[in-house]
Amino acid sequence: MLHAIDACVHCGFCLPACPTYALLGDEMDSPRGRIVLMKDVLEGELSLHDAAPHLDRCLGCQGCVTACPSGVAYGELITSFRGWSEPQRQRGLLLEARRAAILRVLPSPAVFQAAATLGQVAKPLAPVMPKLLRPALDLLPNRVPRRNRLRAFYPAQGLKRGRIALLAGCAQQVLAPNFNEATIRVLTLNGYEVAVPPEQGCCGAAALHTGDRPLALGQVRRNLAAFEPQEYDAIISNAAGCGAGLKEYPAVLHGLPDQPQAEALAAKVQDIAEFLGGLLDRGELRPALPATRPLRIAYHDACHLAHAQGIRREPRELLRWISGVEVLEVPRGELCCGSAGTYNIEQPELADQLGELKATSILSTQPDLIVSGNIGCHTQITTHVGRQGGAARVMHTIEVLDLAYRGEL
Amino acid sequence: MTSPFAALQRQLGPGKVLLSPAERGNYRFDGIQFGVRPLAVVLPETVEDVVAAVRAAKAAGIPVVGRGAASGLSGGAVPLQPSLVVSFTRMTGLTIHPERREAVAQAGVVTLSISDAARPHGLVYPPDPASFRTSTIGGNLGENAGGPLCFKYGVTGDYVLGVEMVDTDGEVHRLGRDAYDLTGLLIGSEGTLGLMTEATVRLVPPAKYSRTLQASFTSVEACAAAVSAAVSAGAVPAKMEFMDGACIGAVEDYLGLGLPREAAALMLVDTDGDDPAQVEAEMQLVEAAFLAAGGQVRRAETETEAAALWQARRSVSPALGRIRPLRMNEDIAVPRSRLPQVVAEIRALGEEYGLPLVQFGHIGDGNLHPNILYDPRSDDPAQVHELAHRIALVALQHGGVLSGEHGIGSMKREFMADAVDPVTAEAYWAVKDALDPDGRLNPDKLLPPRPTHLEDSHVHS
Repeated sequence: MLHAIDACVHCGFCLPACPTYALLGDEMDSPRGRIVLMKDVLEGELSLHDAAPHLDRCLGCQGCVTACPSGVAYGELITSFRGWSEPQRQRGLLLEARRAAILRVLPSPAVFQAAATLGQVAKPLAPVMPKLLRPALDLLPNRVPRRNRLRAFYPAQGLKRGRIALLAGCAQQVLAPNFNEATIRVLTLNGYEVAVPPEQGCCGAAALHTGDRPLALGQVRRNLAAFEPQEYDAIISNAAGCGAGLKEYPAVLHGLPDQPQAEALAAKVQDIAEFLGGLLDRGELRPALPATRPLRIAYHDACHLAHAQGIRREPRELLRWISGVEVLEVPRGELCCGSAGTYNIEQPELADQLGELKATSILSTQPDLIVSGNIGCHTQITTHVGRQGGAARVMHTIEVLDLAYRGEL
Repeated sequence: MTSPFAALQRQLGPGKVLLSPAERGNYRFDGIQFGVRPLAVVLPETVEDVVAAVRAAKAAGIPVVGRGAASGLSGGAVPLQPSLVVSFTRMTGLTIHPERREAVAQAGVVTLSISDAARPHGLVYPPDPASFRTSTIGGNLGENAGGPLCFKYGVTGDYVLGVEMVDTDGEVHRLGRDAYDLTGLLIGSEGTLGLMTEATVRLVPPAKYSRTLQASFTSVEACAAAVSAAVSAGAVPAKMEFMDGACIGAVEDYLGLGLPREAAALMLVDTDGDDPAQVEAEMQLVEAAFLAAGGQVRRAETETEAAALWQARRSVSPALGRIRPLRMNEDIAVPRSRLPQVVAEIRALGEEYGLPLVQFGHIGDGNLHPNILYDPRSDDPAQVHELAHRIALVALQHGGVLSGEHGIGSMKREFMADAVDPVTAEAYWAVKDALDPDGRLNPDKLLPPRPTHLEDSHVHS
């Protein structure tokens, strides 16, 4: 870890890319500052207790990775630091319980569905609920969609061109089941059969990025057993965070006996926009119908798509490919919306400020529709655009394509 | 032990005075080096906060170091003794006065955002240090920062009309050019004479058209001759950037842009203006001079092509990071006519010390950045330092100066004895003593050692 830290020449080019630095204007809440804090803790110059508040405020958005001229792998740094430091942390009992609950409820669709339904009932009571629970309740939609179980297999339509495995995700399947349904419709329509291995589970990113390495390892290994990479042309994720999580498996298992399996799996992982963008580039994407009216779409780069996976071009091109669609660039688009996994529950004030900033920036483009490729951003942007009275709907890239194929866009 | 700044913390309110070890430790470095943990850090939001901080430091007899985004490369913002650090990152007030073609910016305004705010009014702020997305105007004033545009458009100091400054006693001064040009005295003073809290800067309309050319040469001599010939013929390009053979190789290894690896020098030139015919005519002067000197020339026909050609120059930093984790970015300026000898001598020095060394820079101004690449785990820091000193001496021997745009800071302060004659050094110290009698403003920076006969009369705090 110290080796990677040494790669930082502390030039400061990361500062303007960091959302918490933008809000707080304080070196300690910048990537460069956090790297120095980690270095000081590892070298015994500073106690973990003193450094922790600033490290906890990092969203893990990796905007700094894009901005870094020296190629510092900040994402890997903060993840391994959290994994190293978490067993030494001492939190209050309530905070610890909430943390454990989040990391165990979110990844289990059945439990999360029950919790979300219960939460809906409690939502009107939010103002009088304990402060620790309020942010979580605020995030729940006013209506939790009916639970929809996915089948294990969907056949290709027409001539079969290949075979895809879908990572169904956990919380997403409860909050926005249509993301997966639209993904399956578009893929099968394009001649791909889609398998949804029932043994799969949470990708492990949430546990990994908050430092619960043992929990993450269990989740990673469960997926290694569930997906047989050699059987598929691609393993598709439609949640930026989960896709980035799957691509991180070799790093998670680095030096362990199952590293080769992790590499085989990660080599097949693609985001849905990345996969369909490839088809588009090769002229192999089945034509979609034009939009029924001219549409101004504000495209929001999910951090784990743009910064962690470097996927920016493909979703924009897929949207532009639909006749009648104009793609709008969001001012300061590289800044995180503040959702960031469990961040809006653990750091609600900063998350709120970032959400507000993001909604203002998006609405300044006067869009008819807002599109992103990640369930976390979807929830956050829907909440804050709603608070600012914006009328534009928030959709996933794949939902837009799905509607275009059906002539309903 | 109670901090001497606990009272200041109470006075300014929560979040503005940082006293914990974690908080203080993060204000001990800039873009090049680490210093010591400051005693306290102040994040002022108003000039009154700065005044309070400076007065508290005076009462405690403690040095004051100003700091912007700390992207500097000479140690200017690094405390070298237990100090109070004043970090301006929250003083971000910015007003554009289009009718006067002026902007009033507080010290913590990020440089690029001045142009961003002015552009809707058809104006820009031209100085463009490589760090302009990060660095603050206060730091640019302190270091008199330059950038690729400086050949035609000048450096920070050329755009400053006035400054607001807090002196060592905590008095606020508003300086312009009405009597003595004290503004000019403060620009490039690296925080050793006072803390600049606000500047009024000149804005200009941006050029409407530009043309881009990339040229490679088989020798640095041919390249230097070509540049001199183009300038003598009357061309005033907006940008003239140079990369040596080692630098070309580094970028090519990193990105594979198809640059000529066998070339000894690569030039990137932009001409700009409001009349497309004139911009083109000027570029043709450059092109003719470069071809006559044996250069291989590529012209960009579109903005996309221009961006592709400039990618080589923009990728230098990341490319170097992949050769060695650290680099010492030297910043000398030499007469353009001496460029071939200077580049050759510095290259030979790199070979003598066995350290990878690349050279690039804003060659219109003769500003060269020899970069020594090193790994602190395997290379001897003393050797790196010695090589840096010998590079500085090469610049001085050829009639150059120690800094083109990054300032002297602490990094090159000891070389100043080689660069400044004793009489001039005495004049510098007379000014310093007049404005900072206690020697508490960014000590150990910029100035050569105090002449020995002044040492006795100086009252130490």
